Amino acid sequence: MASAAAATAAAAAVAASIRERQTVALKRMLNFNVPHIKNSTGEPVWKVLIYDRFGQDIISPLLSVKELRDMGITLHLLLHSDRDPIPDVPAVYFVMPTEENIDRMCQDLRNQLYESYYLNFISAISRSKLEDIANAALAASAVTQVAKVFDQYLNFITLEDDMFVLCNQNKELVSYRAINRPDITDTEMETVMDTIVDSLFCFFVTLGAVPIIRCSRGTAAEMVAVKLDKKLRENLRDARNSLFTGDTLGAGQFSFQRPLLVLVDRNIDLATPLHHTWTYQALVHDVLDFHLNRVNLEESSGVENSPAGARPKRKNKKSYDLTPVDKFWQKHKGSPFPEVAESVQQELESYRAQEDEVKRLKSIMGLEGEDEGAISMLSDNTAKLTSAVSSLPELLEKKRLIDLHTNVATAVLEHIKARKLDVYFEYEEKIMSKTTLDKSLLDIISDPDAGTPEDKMRLFLIYYISTQQAPSEADLEQYKKALTDAGCNLNPLQYIKQWKAFTKMASAPASYGSTTTKPMGLLSRVMNTGSQFVMEGVKNLVLKQQNLPVTRILDNLMEMKSNPETDDYRYFDPKMLRGNDSSVPRNKNPFQEAIVFVVGGGNYIEYQNLVDYIKGKQGKHILYGCSELFNATQFIKQLSQLGQK
Amino acid sequence: MAVDITLLFRASVKTVKTRNKALGVAVGGGVDGSRDELFRRSPRPKGDFSSRAREVISHIGKLRDFLLEHRKDYINAYSHTMSEYGRMTDTERDQIDQDAQIFMRTCSEAIQQLRAEAHKEIHSQQVKEHRTAVLDFIEDYLKRVCKLYSEQRAIRVKRVVDKKRLSKLEPEPNTKTRESTSSEKVSQSPSKDSEENPATEEHPEKILAETQPELGTWGDGKGEDELSPEEIQMFEQENQRLIGEMNSLFDEVRQIEGRVVEISRLQEIFTEKVLQQEAEIDSIHQLVVGATENIKEGNEDIREVPHL
Repeated sequence: MASAAAATAAAAAVAASIRERQTVALKRMLNFNVPHIKNSTGEPVWKVLIYDRFGQDIISPLLSVKELRDMGITLHLLLHSDRDPIPDVPAVYFVMPTEENIDRMCQDLRNQLYESYYLNFISAISRSKLEDIANAALAASAVTQVAKVFDQYLNFITLEDDMFVLCNQNKELVSYRAINRPDITDTEMETVMDTIVDSLFCFFVTLGAVPIIRCSRGTAAEMVAVKLDKKLRENLRDARNSLFTGDTLGAGQFSFQRPLLVLVDRNIDLATPLHHTWTYQALVHDVLDFHLNRVNLEESSGVENSPAGARPKRKNKKSYDLTPVDKFWQKHKGSPFPEVAESVQQELESYRAQEDEVKRLKSIMGLEGEDEGAISMLSDNTAKLTSAVSSLPELLEKKRLIDLHTNVATAVLEHIKARKLDVYFEYEEKIMSKTTLDKSLLDIISDPDAGTPEDKMRLFLIYYISTQQAPSEADLEQYKKALTDAGCNLNPLQYIKQWKAFTKMASAPASYGSTTTKPMGLLSRVMNTGSQFVMEGVKNLVLKQQNLPVTRILDNLMEMKSNPETDDYRYFDPKMLRGNDSSVPRNKNPFQEAIVFVVGGGNYIEYQNLVDYIKGKQGKHILYGCSELFNATQFIKQLSQLGQK
Repeated sequence: MAVDITLLFRASVKTVKTRNKALGVAVGGGVDGSRDELFRRSPRPKGDFSSRAREVISHIGKLRDFLLEHRKDYINAYSHTMSEYGRMTDTERDQIDQDAQIFMRTCSEAIQQLRAEAHKEIHSQQVKEHRTAVLDFIEDYLKRVCKLYSEQRAIRVKRVVDKKRLSKLEPEPNTKTRESTSSEKVSQSPSKDSEENPATEEHPEKILAETQPELGTWGDGKGEDELSPEEIQMFEQENQRLIGEMNSLFDEVRQIEGRVVEISRLQEIFTEKVLQQEAEIDSIHQLVVGATENIKEGNEDIREVPHL
């Protein structure tokens, strides 16, 4: 009985979100490395948190300032800032073990800034650097003050329950461009691969599971797979220090299923990062400044004729955090935009109804003094009043969220209308699914109203990538001319040509599925209901589920389907004694849990596609990760830099 | 999972020590070092702030322990079957209440004092922020412990109210029926002997265990010989009526009680909100005053400028 319960609990635990695990690890670290238990009458303990930029990026999507306060943190400061000595307070450090950071920490020890030091390194620190700290501690007579030293193995950033990226600070190092540039040296490549593998290793340590690895041949993904396999293997063999045995593995030990890690290279699908999108989260990432779950909006404060000489009006900058607590966001981040607009409207209406309810009570209360008969209603109303008052904070929170989403959705809508993103989306979907095109590509490119030069470039690149046979020279010249007239930079095209030539040699270009989108008519229902989201002229497009290349690959590997695309993928199992290069999978059963990692960068469109795919399958879980998260603008920039060489 | 490398660190310290000794480098370890350490530590401001803060926390901790210790006895007192050890008299309870209140008041005064003093002599922004946060934590702790106390008290008050309510409703039907029977007795032939009177009088002394309908039957039963059937009926009717009246009163009082409890809760919430707003209104007031002055000065400046 107990073992069955443990097994189900364990199965649930292994599928527990990576976000929870990382949050729990962080909280334990903040609690002086002791598991955190909530005690309502516990004495307060206070501490100071010192982090570097890596640490900041890891903590900020997971813990809000209020939550830090609840853990007793009075101040949180950057390592490389001016810090004053604060006597009598313990300090918790959460930094990467780099040369500069270690130097600064030694300086802190010498300057006796704090009472006691709890050092936590995001990824494992080397022995020599540990000795450097020891040296400084000795010189400062501060050895007893260093209370605890920990390797946290948290070198990755979790953005969603099931999505993570490697890093934000040094993403130049591991960007698509860095990996794919032609002039990269072997040592540089080694460094990049080591960085990626280190983070992936930390990820699996936190997840508490050793995966089975599959990757395509001849790509950067393969290099990552080989190194990761080696690292995991070494760690498992080292029985004394293994991070995957005994208590540290915890629930994972009971699970009979190991997760599948699919390593893919960005190069198998370059069209998706350029694609215009139609779901809420992906749109926010595409058109607005969205970063580590925080979106920054610039509100233009109206165009008014100000008297000459007056100071020009400043644009308000507002930033919002889109967190797991935000129920609206969680529900609608994958929904098509018109649905989102409608839902915001509905939420606003229900909020107004509740507000009116509260106001009505107020007027009833007002009557009370005048009308004796109202006293009989009094008992009911007191109860209603209490419930209304206690529901006020909830109501205020709801209002805040509605405001937030109204602002964000309005900003997105403005972009859509200005750039005619719905047209682009529809057209690209048609290109990618190889249905007939009703409008010529040239027309769209030459159309001055539709979209920025970048939008047109994206469209053309998608066309170029997806066509089976390359356009003729004459056609190509025509397109090029049209693009240049529209103001586009042609460097990305250079690169894509090279890429296409290369991939043609390797294998057939990936196809994108054969389903279509159905436009629902020019005037959306939203406009008819008179909402403030006037989507006039914006098509109400409905997304049809189609599997992007990455999703298809995952499907084949997870369900053990045979497919020429994935059959020759390499197979690694770090737990197997004989480290061999077999490509025959030993495991014949479909996997319950999988992690897809894209080497070279990923985006929300792929993530959403995977989420939609797995929704239909009961009991299966997918985690999505990438070495960096970019939107189309950033990707085009990288392509352009690559094309310049 | 995180890996504890503290031991590794200590080992590194030893390695470094031995290495430095071998190299002949002067280190802060050894006898000199410890003197050095002591010397270095004493001029450091030990922070009279933090030691006082810790004191306040330990006081609040004592209060909390005190409350928790006596909590069971405090609440459990009404059971008569409880042994002597468990009983607590009302006076003792009052004493606890009073002590707790005094304690809480002194603690919050100490916190206010600390707050006022915390910002003196300190120039660093970070230290100020830190101290404000520490004081917030302590206040929060005090609030949580006070909640313990107020919960206990609320239970006690509720019990007292319950008891009073029950004891108030109880003698009325007794007196009414007693009166009716005694008045009836007066109208009867005075042949009734005095035994019955004390007998009838004894019964009201019985405590609330008896239910009201029973009183009716008792009243009936006792005066049976003296009463004619019509009178019995009359009394029964009256009893029923009284019971009905009492029940409706009882219900109404229940309702009122519920409302009062809710109103008190609402008042609590409102006072909290009003207090919060007080600080904000103060700052708004300051801002407005400052703004008016700025505007006045601005106007004067404008007037001074010679028009071209």
